[in-house]
Amino acid sequence: MPQQQRLFITTLLLSVIGGEVCFARIGCFSDSSPWAGTIERPISQLPWSPETINTRFLLYTRENPNNFQDINAVNPSTISASNFKTSRKTRFIIHGFIDKGEESWLTNMCKAMLQVEDVNCFCIDWSGGSRALYTQAANNIRVVGAEVAYFINTLHNNFGYSPSNVHVIGHSLGAHAAGEVGKRKRGIARITGLDPAEPYFQGTPTDVRLDPSDAAFVDAIHTDAAPLIPNIGLGMSQTVGHLDFFPNGGEEMPGCRKNIISQIVDIDGIWQGTRDFVACNHLRSYKYYTDSILNRDGFVGFPTSSYSNFKSGSGFPCPSGGCPIMGHYADTGITSSSQKLYLNTGDATNFSRWRYKVSVEISGLLNIQAYFTVALYGTKGNTRQYEIYNGYIKTGSTYTAFIDVETDVGDLTKVKFLWNNNIIDILLTQLGAKTITVQKGKDGKTGRFCGSDTTREDILQTLNPC
Amino acid sequence: MLPIITLLLFFSLTLAEPSESGLIFNLDNGELCLQSAQCKSSCCHREDGLSLARCASRAAEFQKCSPLHLYGVYYFCPCESGLSCEVDRTIVGTITNTDYGFCKDPNERVK
Repeated sequence: MPQQQRLFITTLLLSVIGGEVCFARIGCFSDSSPWAGTIERPISQLPWSPETINTRFLLYTRENPNNFQDINAVNPSTISASNFKTSRKTRFIIHGFIDKGEESWLTNMCKAMLQVEDVNCFCIDWSGGSRALYTQAANNIRVVGAEVAYFINTLHNNFGYSPSNVHVIGHSLGAHAAGEVGKRKRGIARITGLDPAEPYFQGTPTDVRLDPSDAAFVDAIHTDAAPLIPNIGLGMSQTVGHLDFFPNGGEEMPGCRKNIISQIVDIDGIWQGTRDFVACNHLRSYKYYTDSILNRDGFVGFPTSSYSNFKSGSGFPCPSGGCPIMGHYADTGITSSSQKLYLNTGDATNFSRWRYKVSVEISGLLNIQAYFTVALYGTKGNTRQYEIYNGYIKTGSTYTAFIDVETDVGDLTKVKFLWNNNIIDILLTQLGAKTITVQKGKDGKTGRFCGSDTTREDILQTLNPC
Repeated sequence: MLPIITLLLFFSLTLAEPSESGLIFNLDNGELCLQSAQCKSSCCHREDGLSLARCASRAAEFQKCSPLHLYGVYYFCPCESGLSCEVDRTIVGTITNTDYGFCKDPNERVK
């Protein structure tokens, strides 16, 4: 009885003054500062044991694109018996809070990669540790990071596989788990943080969170960077990588403000819809990444300091060396003058967009309240009509707008102009575009198009190169 | 169940700002619809006879389209302004809403 009492008091004391847990293979974890007891991390929690968290490595390769092989580093013979090949690059995908490794987005990401490259793609499952209170899960990622680092270490020691072939992708809490991997195993080529989790990480020392020192190259996609209170933004607004992409400004993603029924009854099923209902902005980050694998140049990021600057044209067009590309091809070696990169995406898959600057010089006899649109035609296809201006139109003036078109049109061949004022026009007003200048954001290529005539409303005017 | 839906409707309507997308009219692409008049894009689109209809963009030039139809729900959206959906109408096609064509610019043909 007294012994039990003593044990009880010791545990109680431990939980108050801080403690440490140690595990075979992966070492000790303490809950002293900076891991707890700070303003950012008020509640202290020790990570669960590796057995409880049960980190699993689910391997997909071109030999087995549809069914995974369950591998673990405790028993390296499972690695040599699998389809893992040292001649290939290896990418690890780590999920976040509540999620699991068999969730379809991880599998789909692997499948997309296998379409474009021959890789060892590991989906990492730590659902044993992710389905806990948030504060607990935020500490469990330390064990997950240690397990992945141990796995990479085994590859290094037993198979001579260099960590410079490794890329770790993490979503939400998984992004910080990836940071932990990089701290424990030095020399990893790349870490991608997909909307790294904000609570318990934003503002903490670099030991705790993902930061640029964790790998040779760290890139991040921010899609839910609004503050946790009161906007329930789950992602970080803080920059964490060499390149930080803020698609659509990083806070509100298009397609995420649907009414509740339309959101939940999703095209991809009720489960995907419910996920989006809970965390649509937050989950967009991995959707953009997956789309970027198959659309190499549809996610060009423009270097500038803020989203409002980006919207007003700062950073446009790309410098002669090119702009970094968000997502899978962010590591193509294009450096940027700014750590922050901005771009716009679509509102549903396919999310890729191509940005153009369009300047229209209006001709006609009468000033009028109306709107006008422009459609681009090129060697590879044509776009929809995009509104350039809506308001009081003065003839002879030039109106400029930036548009993000959904089609890669190739080299421009012609442009079409159309205007309308939403009222039945009894005056038979004629309006036209004298010249339209179109500049592509990706390479700064400019095309000039001229039109001679004017048209009535709702009739397309074609402008040819001049 | 019904009172919950009414409540939801009520709150969504009161919360909706005039310029934002609505619950019944002025719907964004991707939102569920019953009639094209509900959509900003004025096209309520569904993949097949069994799937749910959602607002979608109208067809650009050279894309597949349907001519304007009384049903108000389309398998292929009507064309954007200034374009016409070129299609040989048939009686069966008109009834079943399966007369498809491609968007063309009527001005271009004249030249």
